[in-house]
Amino acid sequence: MQDLLYFSQQLINGLTIGSAYALIAIGYTMVYGIIGMINFAHGEIYMIGAYTALIAITGLTALGLAWLPLILIVALVCAMIVSSSMGWAVERVAYRPVRGRHRLIPLISAIGMSIFLQNYVHLAQGSRNVGFPALIEGGFNFSADGAFQMSLSYIQITIFITTLICMIALSLFISRSRTGRACRAVSQDLGMASLLGIDTNRIISATFVIGAALAAVAGLLLGMYYGSVDPLFGFIAGLKAFTAAVLGGIGSIPGAMLGGLILGVSESLTSGYLSGEYKDVVSFGLLILILLFKPTGLLGKPEVEKI
Amino acid sequence: MTTSIKKLVTAVSASVALMGAGHAAAEIQIGIAGPVTGPVAQYGDMQFSGARMAIEQINSKGGVMGEKLVAVEYDDVCDPKQAVTVANRLVNDGVRFVVGHLCSSSTQPASDIYEDEGVLMITPASTSPEITERGYELVFRTIGLDSMQGPVAGNYIASQNPERVAIVHDKQQYGEGIATAVRDTLKNKGVEIAMFEGVTAGDKDFSSLVTKLKQADVDYVYFGGYHPELGLILRQARQADLDAKFMGPEGVGNKDINTIAGEAAEGLLVTLPPSFDEKAENQELVKAFEAKNEDPSGPFVLTSYAAVQLIADGIEAAESKDPFDVAAALRSGTFETPIGTVEYDKAGDMKSFEFVVYEWHSDGSKTPVN
Repeated sequence: MQDLLYFSQQLINGLTIGSAYALIAIGYTMVYGIIGMINFAHGEIYMIGAYTALIAITGLTALGLAWLPLILIVALVCAMIVSSSMGWAVERVAYRPVRGRHRLIPLISAIGMSIFLQNYVHLAQGSRNVGFPALIEGGFNFSADGAFQMSLSYIQITIFITTLICMIALSLFISRSRTGRACRAVSQDLGMASLLGIDTNRIISATFVIGAALAAVAGLLLGMYYGSVDPLFGFIAGLKAFTAAVLGGIGSIPGAMLGGLILGVSESLTSGYLSGEYKDVVSFGLLILILLFKPTGLLGKPEVEKI
Repeated sequence: MTTSIKKLVTAVSASVALMGAGHAAAEIQIGIAGPVTGPVAQYGDMQFSGARMAIEQINSKGGVMGEKLVAVEYDDVCDPKQAVTVANRLVNDGVRFVVGHLCSSSTQPASDIYEDEGVLMITPASTSPEITERGYELVFRTIGLDSMQGPVAGNYIASQNPERVAIVHDKQQYGEGIATAVRDTLKNKGVEIAMFEGVTAGDKDFSSLVTKLKQADVDYVYFGGYHPELGLILRQARQADLDAKFMGPEGVGNKDINTIAGEAAEGLLVTLPPSFDEKAENQELVKAFEAKNEDPSGPFVLTSYAAVQLIADGIEAAESKDPFDVAAALRSGTFETPIGTVEYDKAGDMKSFEFVVYEWHSDGSKTPVN
């Protein structure tokens, strides 16, 4: 019973992180699905989302606002707006001018953008770790006879539910809405979609905006869950989310979700049963294995609908 | 367009070259190398403020052998790669005396360059024993060693008769070194060590680690590393209702841990150098810091002050600006500094340096534990 509780606790820890990875991974996978490039600045967009949320929360608290749901919603909206405009601007400034050139050129442009944004936040916000207020505290505890208590905190539940809502909304958007249909068309054949009267530039911008908005959601959630933000934390999270996207099959949205969850769980089980030192070894090792045996990732198929 | 840019570049590089050559002969350059940016810039602030104050005060008393001290500042971000770049730049700039670096993992590679190029280095913060183990002639420190700090922490934990202790470190030279020293001390005392494990510096998610600590049912956790990680571990441990006492080295003892951990920082145990700013003989100096609106209570402020002062005293004692002569003078003399009477052994370590156990509070203050 003890062991089972311990296992479930590690599983919960992993699923929490995994769902946040999945939210960030969507941004990578959608952009890749549509224009076939890897947006390395995406991790920074997520970091900026977390900072914006923190600034909004601090501001609202300073104004004397105490009603938690309102603070959270305002912070979320601010973060999504700032991150989305950042995502839009990045595409407009750094990627559109070089679109259609050799594959390496947008890639280098993306890496440059990532370094630029990182250093911009460094300058604007300072390089220190800034504490993030734990707005949602407490949780449920489950215990057997032994000493070990399994706990499921409210913030973990919030992360699951928010991720679930975002994923369902995104799937509906892609499958039902007009823009979603246009997205699918552009991902299948950009030139043809353009000939048929779809404003491809607008669709590509929309992809960046949606990815950035989801990253901002992850920024707020993980900021509260971890408890601190710093200008470099988008880089690692971006790398992990990119791994999740590749693991699940880059270009596939369900793949990004699956990849995120697998990565999160494998990280937490490795820390739990082996040692935290091997966490990254195992997750990146897993990536290599999957790429060796299934180069398109778990759910990616060479010629299915991407995006 | 292109030509005008070229002209501009030429003009800028020419003026940079001129600036480099502009140092007058009657000046002694003191390089201050430490993290101005990066996750531990907090400590860099302490180092820079202490060293600047010393330079200012020595100059106001007429300088060293009639020459003024000039601070030349370098940012190594506490990154070993950047530290090497900084060390090379410093050598190229003709600086012969350095106060720094701060993180042990930066100090070690930089000290290789200083020793080869004849630059005297005093680190005010690096506690890794390996730095002075290599028989270098020009490497000194104004702080104790991990091998002194670890046993203090280990003995304290053992004296509390814990049932099970976990030791966690950040896999870096400083953190792992100190954690190993604590583990060895506890083993000798026969305390059961339930876990000895590394985490990745810069990581944010410690929920798995916390779960593991809970499962192992430990009553003490020693963390070897810096505040960004321990702050998060404390906070996530509190959220998960982990009931254990935490302890860390001086790398976690600063107010940034409060902004990260909040209430969870209450009761954290920290081994720190004694509060030099509370000593009666330093009160005048403390006032000077306060007049500049700076805080002299950080662990590395007065050690950095002492490092500059030792360089100045060493130059006067040797009556020479040659780093090798100054090193010989430092080894043979006895110096009065704000951190007490300093005498060096052959390796460049102070003959005596004590660490004290403090209890940290959630408002950023600390009280000695005894």
